Amino acid sequence: MEREVAIIGYAQTPYEEDADASREILVLRAAREALASAGLSRDDIGTVITANNDYLDGRTISNMRLVEPSGACLKDESKVEMDGAYAALYALMRLLSGFHDVAMVIGESQASVYPTYAPGVMTLDPTWDRQRGLLNEVSAAALQARSYMNTYGISEEQIAAVAAKNLGNAVKNPLALRAVPGATVEQVMGSRMLCSPIREMCAWPATDGACAIVLAAGDVARKANRAAWIRGVGFYHDSYLTERPLDKMTSLKMAADKCYAMAGIEHPEVEIDLAEISELFAHEELMAYEALGFCAEGKGGEFIDSGATRMDGILPVNPSGGVLAANAVCAAGLARLAEAAMQITGEAGDHQVKGVKTALAHGQTGLCAQENIVYVLGGE
Amino acid sequence: MRDVAVVGVGLSKHVSKRRDVNIPELVWEGVSAAYEDAGITPRDLDGIITGNMPAFEGVNLPELWGAGHWGAYNKPVLRITTGGTTGGSVGHGAFYAVASGLMDTVIAIAFEKQSDGDSTAGLNTVAVADMAPFLSYGIDPAFMLAFGGGAVGVAVYQASSYMKRSGCTPHHLDKVSVLCRTNAAKNPAAHLKQPGLTPEEVARTALMQYPLRFGHVCPASDGACAMILTTAEKAKKLTDKPAFIRSVASCSEEGALVGIAAAGTANTDPCAQEGCKVAAANAYRKAGIKEPRQEIDLAEPYAPFAHQLLMFYERLLLCDEGEAPSILDSGSMELDGALPVCPSGGVISTNAIGASALERIAEAALQIMGKAGEHQVEKDVHKAVAHGWGGAVNLNVVAVLADTPTPRG
Repeated sequence: MEREVAIIGYAQTPYEEDADASREILVLRAAREALASAGLSRDDIGTVITANNDYLDGRTISNMRLVEPSGACLKDESKVEMDGAYAALYALMRLLSGFHDVAMVIGESQASVYPTYAPGVMTLDPTWDRQRGLLNEVSAAALQARSYMNTYGISEEQIAAVAAKNLGNAVKNPLALRAVPGATVEQVMGSRMLCSPIREMCAWPATDGACAIVLAAGDVARKANRAAWIRGVGFYHDSYLTERPLDKMTSLKMAADKCYAMAGIEHPEVEIDLAEISELFAHEELMAYEALGFCAEGKGGEFIDSGATRMDGILPVNPSGGVLAANAVCAAGLARLAEAAMQITGEAGDHQVKGVKTALAHGQTGLCAQENIVYVLGGE
Repeated sequence: MRDVAVVGVGLSKHVSKRRDVNIPELVWEGVSAAYEDAGITPRDLDGIITGNMPAFEGVNLPELWGAGHWGAYNKPVLRITTGGTTGGSVGHGAFYAVASGLMDTVIAIAFEKQSDGDSTAGLNTVAVADMAPFLSYGIDPAFMLAFGGGAVGVAVYQASSYMKRSGCTPHHLDKVSVLCRTNAAKNPAAHLKQPGLTPEEVARTALMQYPLRFGHVCPASDGACAMILTTAEKAKKLTDKPAFIRSVASCSEEGALVGIAAAGTANTDPCAQEGCKVAAANAYRKAGIKEPRQEIDLAEPYAPFAHQLLMFYERLLLCDEGEAPSILDSGSMELDGALPVCPSGGVISTNAIGASALERIAEAALQIMGKAGEHQVEKDVHKAVAHGWGGAVNLNVVAVLADTPTPRG
C-alpha cells in the first residue's frame, strides 16, 4: 500500500432491540466515544464516511442528517451505501491517496423502525423475483443453506453449533444484544423454525446500534495511543442471487485471496490468530471457513466440530458473538473490524483472546452474501 | 498520490420516460459507450464505483441486480450515494480508488430511471425530518404543504434570498434558462433541447412558486453516465489526450432545508452555501490552482434551478459575490465566451438525478479532451471545474480537471 494506515480508535453503542434514542443520538454517542478513544478532537478529523441505507432509514439521502452527529460539519464527507466495512474501505482509499490523514467511519442501523427483512426484498429484480413474493432475506438464506448442505453433506446440528458457539461467546460481550449463557446445539435446534432449515437462533436479530472507528495514516497513526494496522484488504461482487450457485461463497474466496496476497499471508489457517466474520445466518460462518481457507472446501462442518473456532481453539471465530449476537445492519462489518482491532490491541475485555497478532475481519452486502470484503489487521 | 486520468466517457440519451428498457439496460447504454470511448472491455477493469438514489425508482441497491449487466462479473463493486451529489460522489470515489493505488482502471457509473418511480415522493421523506424543528419554531405543520412541489418548494427560498443579495432579477433567471437550453440543443445526450429559445418565452411559462417558473426548473430524466478512470501511465496507451482529475473535495454543512437546521442548531441562509466555497477552495489548492478566476477555463456548476447557475458560479470562487448576473449579461458564459458555463446544457436541461453530478465531471473531461462535438467551446480548455449539490441544501462536491496532471513540488 502507498501509505501505512491503522485503526486508532473505535466505539460501539450497546446493541438493543428498541433503543430509546434516535439514530442521530446513536451516531453521536459512537462518534464521540471513538474520538475520545483515539485521543483526538473533531478538529483532527479530515474526512468522514458513513454507512447507511435509504431503505433502512426510511428516508432519502440518509447521510445528510448525520452531518452534525458524525462530526462531519464543514468537512469532506461521503456515504457508502453498503455494509460499514466498505465505508472503512472508502476511508482507507482517501487516506492512501494522500488527500487526508485521519478519517472517521460510522455505520448505523435502527431495525426497530422498519420491518426487519423488508429492505432485502427491495433489492430483488422488481419485474419478476419481487412480484413472485417467494424470496426474502430468510427464504433466500434457506435456499443457500440447503444448497450448501446438499452439496457437502453438512448437517443441521453442525449449523446449530455455530449459533451455540457465537451466542455463548456473546455472554462475555457486554454490548451484545442476544447472549445465551451455556448455549447448546439442542437449544438452537429447539428454537422456532423461520424457514427450513433456518431457525430463529440461526438468524440475525433485529438490532439498533452504531459503530464508529477512527483510521489514521502515517505519523498520526505512529503516534497514536494504539494501532491495529491494516495489512490487506480485498472485496468482490458476485452475480445476482438467481444467477449464481449458492453452495459456495465465490466472491468471499476471491476477496480473501486478494487480501492475503496484499498482507503476505500464505497459510491463513496458521497465520491468522482470530477472525470476526459477518455470519448473518449460522450456516454462512461454515461457508466462510472454507472460502477464507481456514479448512478445505466442504469441510466447514468438520471444522466447527473440531472446536478449532471456539474461544479457546486454535483459530477463534467471533469471540464477540458475531452478527448472530447483534446486527445493526450497516454497522455489522464495521463492528467486526472494530472487534478485530480490539483483539489486537488487547482491549476486548472479557472476550479477549490471548496473543492475537494477526486478525481477520469480514463484511458482506446483499442477499446470501453477494458482496464480500475481507481485511487482515496486524499489531505491527 | 498517483495521477488520475479520464480516458472514456459514455452517456445514454436522456428522456422523460424510457419504457423500452429496464434499469440495467438503460445504464448499459451509458456504460457501453464509455467502454467504446476508452477502447477497453470489462476485462480491463479493476473495479466499479456506482450510485443512484434508490428511493426514486423503488429498487434498493440496484447494482446487486444490475451490475452483472455492466461488466461487474467477479469484480469489486463500491456503492456511494449522497443525494443530488451522488454522481459527483461516485466520481470522487472512482478518483480515490485509482489515487489510492488499490486499483488502476475503474468505471464510475451513475444513473436514474425516474419514470419507474416518483422522485418527489422519495424526496418528501427528506422533509419529514424537518417536522420537529418546524413545530419547535412555532411554524404551522400545514407549511409542510409547501413541499408539495418537492425540491422546488425548497429551492424558492434559496432563489429569493440569492436574488435579494445579488441583485439578480427574474430576467436574469430567464436568460440562464436560455443559455442552458440552447446549449442543450447542441448536445445529443441532453433532454430538454430548445434551440432559439428567448427570455420572453421563458418569462411566459407558468409560475410554480415565486420566483421560479416552469422554464427555470429542470426536467425529470431517465438516463445514465459512465466514466472510465485510470493511471497516467495506462492513459498514455489509450489516448493522446486524456483529461486529468487533479483534485476532488466535498464539504457538508448542517442540514437546513429552508434555513432552519433539522438538528435545531443552525439558522443559515440557504443561498450562503459556505460548503461550496470551502470545497472549491480545497479543490483548487490541491489542484495547484492559485487564481481560479484567471486559471479556470470552463465551469459546470450543478444548477437544476436557474438562480443556482449564477449562485454557484460565485460560490465556486469564479467572481465576487453578486457579480454573476452582470457576467451573464456580458456574454462571457456563452459557448464562445471567456469562461463558458454549462456548455452541456446543465442540469436545468437534463436531470437524471443520481447521474447529474457525474455528468458535470464528464462534460468537463469531454471539453478538455476536445470531444464535446457540437457544443465544444470555442477556446482551448486547459482547466475546468465541475460541481454537485444536494442533500438538505447542505452537501457540495467539487472536482478540478485539467489537460495536465497536478504539478508536484
